[in-house]
Amino acid sequence: MMNFEFDLQSYTSRFKAWAQTFRGGITLVCLAGLMLFPLTGNEYLTQVLVTAMILAIFAASWDLLAGFAGQVSFGHAAFFGISGYFTAAMVKFAGMHWLVSVFVGAGWAVVFSLLIGIPCLRLKGPYLALGTLAFSLILWNLFLTGTWLGGTEGISGLPSTGSIFVAFYIIAAFMIGSLVLMRAIVDSRLGTILKSIRDDETCADASGIDTTVYKLIAFMISGFFAGISGALFVLDTTAVNPAVYQTLYSFYGIIMAAIGGMATIYGAIIGAFLFVILSELLRPLAAAALLIFATLLILIVRFAEEGVMNPFLDRVHDLWDMIRRR
Amino acid sequence: MGVILEVKNLTKKFGGLTAVNDVNFEVHRGEMLGLIGPNGAGKTTLFHLISGFEKPNNGSVFFDGIDITGMKPFKIVNHGMARTFQLVRSFRYLSLLDNIAVACLSPRGKEAFGKEGIDEAASSILSSVGLVDKARLPPVILPHGDLRKLEIGKALGTNPEMLLLDEPFSGLVHEEKEGIARLIKRLNSEGVTVFVTGHVLRELMTLVPRVIAMHQGRLIAEGPPQEVANNKVVLEAYLGRGEAFARA
Repeated sequence: MMNFEFDLQSYTSRFKAWAQTFRGGITLVCLAGLMLFPLTGNEYLTQVLVTAMILAIFAASWDLLAGFAGQVSFGHAAFFGISGYFTAAMVKFAGMHWLVSVFVGAGWAVVFSLLIGIPCLRLKGPYLALGTLAFSLILWNLFLTGTWLGGTEGISGLPSTGSIFVAFYIIAAFMIGSLVLMRAIVDSRLGTILKSIRDDETCADASGIDTTVYKLIAFMISGFFAGISGALFVLDTTAVNPAVYQTLYSFYGIIMAAIGGMATIYGAIIGAFLFVILSELLRPLAAAALLIFATLLILIVRFAEEGVMNPFLDRVHDLWDMIRRR
Repeated sequence: MGVILEVKNLTKKFGGLTAVNDVNFEVHRGEMLGLIGPNGAGKTTLFHLISGFEKPNNGSVFFDGIDITGMKPFKIVNHGMARTFQLVRSFRYLSLLDNIAVACLSPRGKEAFGKEGIDEAASSILSSVGLVDKARLPPVILPHGDLRKLEIGKALGTNPEMLLLDEPFSGLVHEEKEGIARLIKRLNSEGVTVFVTGHVLRELMTLVPRVIAMHQGRLIAEGPPQEVANNKVVLEAYLGRGEAFARA
């Protein structure tokens, strides 16, 4: 029934072909630049980039669910938070190795994606969005008012890597691995089926596709990667509290995916980096920062409906062609 | 020729309106049956009931001996009955090839074409409906006639034994209608049972050997197209009582 198979050989040859294109080349150059950044020795900016990379995974996981499967969730912070809590609890109370705890946390996010996905599957459009939002609010309140797992204080004092530069390369590896995997999924047969459900669910049903099962699969995959980002976020900050369930985090993911470009996966990197860097730059302006940020967002949505990544790369490509012709 | 589809006492009510009222008929394996009726007769509702997109209030539907009443649409498709829609539906951001590939990826499609043969099967189906040269294009830029062909192609991707075609000539110009009619005839000659609706009897006259007529949710006539076309009750349903008697 399910179509998870990937043709590794064809994927490798496609990667080689892509690397030789303009887009592939510029992506690899940007990645190389990112990897060299810690050599500047700037701890503050390296931390900013670490946060951006974690949120890029989160935004891409939302993009997979909404941009490719058409299931718009306003409660994605639930997966982020549940994984964060389980990861913190495993590391702190069970003494689990951090790497194992990341996947255990993400596994719990998958379980919760099923718990959220199954009752929400009958909902469509805004009702689905509100249904998922309700779940994340329930979790927020449960963890806020409950006394388990630290109550309002949450869990703190998790061990850290000791060096932000080490953390940078670990999280960069997670980001690249997660995004390449997500892109491979949406480019696979499974991705074709998810896109068909997004385009016309009735038509997919009439094509013999069990849309319920595939929507659940989309929820699970998205939940897994949102869980990975939640786990990394908690390990990076060495603490977790009920604030991770806040609706604000869900909307951060949506905003970052929209800025980068919906249904692209890689656009999430651009969206997350722009979002985090802009937030940091505007931080000294206090209240005015929110106004400027909101205005910029409106301008981006108004003039770059498909996000900034594709139009930006097209412009750079045109410029490159112009320079080569001279 | 055995019976492939059997509809028994099928009834569907929407509030106070009875859209399909105690309908009974059979379709034989390999047959090409037409369903006619004026707008609002209940043809599309009947199709929805047979294909699982609506649940009946009463009655039952048997396909190939299996009771499919109220079964989910994708399950009915995987039993071997595919359908098209009166208002064309497609996966608008997927290429035509992927539009067909989705249907080939259904359990029944995979069983017929194999996991490795999906692209080849989709390409061959696109070729059979005359769209192979547009394989990489998205449906949004296709003319209406090509969209109708794509819909039939998508249905073929599920390797159906029976096709339900809901108004396949609707909105087409003469040449496009002829192309679709040729395609339907060819599919039927290849062994696919066809059940096709149309609100204009002329379109089905040369296509099908047997027609059933519906009006206000009820079956009002059955027989060869010429006989049904001259049936007074059918003429009344289409033209109104006065006009029908004037013509008769």
